[in-house]
Amino acid sequence: MYTPFDFNEAIGHKKEYIEDNLREGSPVVGMAYDGGLLLLTMRRTQRKIYEIYDRQMFSAIGKQADIENVRLSSIQYAHQEGFERSPDDVSVQRLVGFYLSPALKKAFGDQWAAPFIIRCLFAESGRTPEQDVFLTLNYDGEFRQHRRVAVIAGTQRAEDRMLERLSDNRPPLSRDEALRQAVWAWTAGARESLKATSRISRDIEEEEPIPLYEIDEAEADRVFLRDELKTAQLEVGLLERRANRESRFRLMREDELQDLLSTII
Amino acid sequence: MELARDLWSLLQQSGHPLTRPAVTPLTQQTATPPAGTGVVDTHGTTVIAVKFDRGVINVGDRRATANFAVMYDRAEKVLPIDDYTLLAISGSFARAMEVVRYLRTAFKLFERTYLQPMSLEGKLAELARVVRAGVPEALQGIGGFIPLLTTYDLEGQEGRIFFYDGMGARFESTEFGAAGSGSLQIRGVFDYIVKTKKPFHQMTREEALREALLLLDIAADLDAATGGWQKVLPLAKTITADGIEDVSEEELRTLVAEIDRTTRENASPHRNS
Repeated sequence: MYTPFDFNEAIGHKKEYIEDNLREGSPVVGMAYDGGLLLLTMRRTQRKIYEIYDRQMFSAIGKQADIENVRLSSIQYAHQEGFERSPDDVSVQRLVGFYLSPALKKAFGDQWAAPFIIRCLFAESGRTPEQDVFLTLNYDGEFRQHRRVAVIAGTQRAEDRMLERLSDNRPPLSRDEALRQAVWAWTAGARESLKATSRISRDIEEEEPIPLYEIDEAEADRVFLRDELKTAQLEVGLLERRANRESRFRLMREDELQDLLSTII
Repeated sequence: MELARDLWSLLQQSGHPLTRPAVTPLTQQTATPPAGTGVVDTHGTTVIAVKFDRGVINVGDRRATANFAVMYDRAEKVLPIDDYTLLAISGSFARAMEVVRYLRTAFKLFERTYLQPMSLEGKLAELARVVRAGVPEALQGIGGFIPLLTTYDLEGQEGRIFFYDGMGARFESTEFGAAGSGSLQIRGVFDYIVKTKKPFHQMTREEALREALLLLDIAADLDAATGGWQKVLPLAKTITADGIEDVSEEELRTLVAEIDRTTRENASPHRNS
């Protein structure tokens, strides 16, 4: 017989399975700056930040197949809406609230469906900076709106660490200053994710202090970031409010990113 | 979540009328409807495209007509469909505008979905498809339109001009193109200019713009549906390697005034007796 207990149990297992798969995802940082919005992350092979519509962009951690599914569905929904109504009527709030969230929730709650292994971050540039918005969407359909700063990472603890780093930023920030802060927030999140993975592989509940690391956080971050950059690549997507194009989205070029990194490390 | 291959199949799924024109089956059609009944659609009239040494120039008058009525005297008939492509439209306004919006969205959707821009050939085929889809309606007397597509080919580094017939056949023109009710009257003038002056693609921007405006002026003289520029200036846009640019009102005003002056000077005096 199937009981409510079994439902809880099944959902619990599902959640655990998904969280396990998300844990090592490279965090994504979203920030507002004086000229628009940015998403920043580090990638190894696959591109991670994508344009959704004229004023919307997106990034996610999780399984590539699920990310692609959500990305393509979002693009399709936005363009159909933009054509049948108007580009002004396309918003991430409607995209996520009306379209994506119910689908994710359904797949998550359905015992016989494969859940989405995904955590997404959407950014939307409004007509004025006050209308800029970030939306995070989780594998179970839960979504949350954020202003100025938003992050996604493999674990709650990593996200907390990142937000701590960003807690004392005072707007308006220049683009370079926002990027600098975003890089260090990413580093904090990635280090935390790594710690979580190693704790689990060694089956330890609480983290043990690693003396040398704790001596100088900033130096440890720098070492970590330098190490990461040997195998990974920085990726930044922008929504530029004053873009002279129909679409506000663009990826930062290789040389711009090199310049940025040279001032940071 | 269901995925469609492109905007066309997406709209077919949702039953959008653009992809499913409302057509009365032949067996149910009566003879030609009596005059004065049925839908009269608004038509755009003359649009002209000529090459110049750095790209293409598009000009269009501003008039839109429905039968003998002037519906609108500030119509925009040269419309950007991406950063390097203009669609100049003549014929049914309703359908043409829908097609412009369709193409804009279809190109963007393609690029964002597949992470690469649609090729020029792909864009031309997409336009042929929407023109072709409108044929059944056009046969019943509404919705027919003829587009003129101009673009800057970044690979070949030159402007290109394509024109279509009502069925969606596509032709490329080496020097110039025109569509709309006034285009037939001026067809020979293009050839005259190329043969007696020089090919358009060797002209400077100013030379080519002057010729294009002169052609538009002649079309307005000879075609009742083409608007002159006494009240509202015509529209002119260029496409070069730097993208699409509007010709400024000031520049247009100067050129138009020059053409008008020459016309007056060369006009023969009236002799009625």
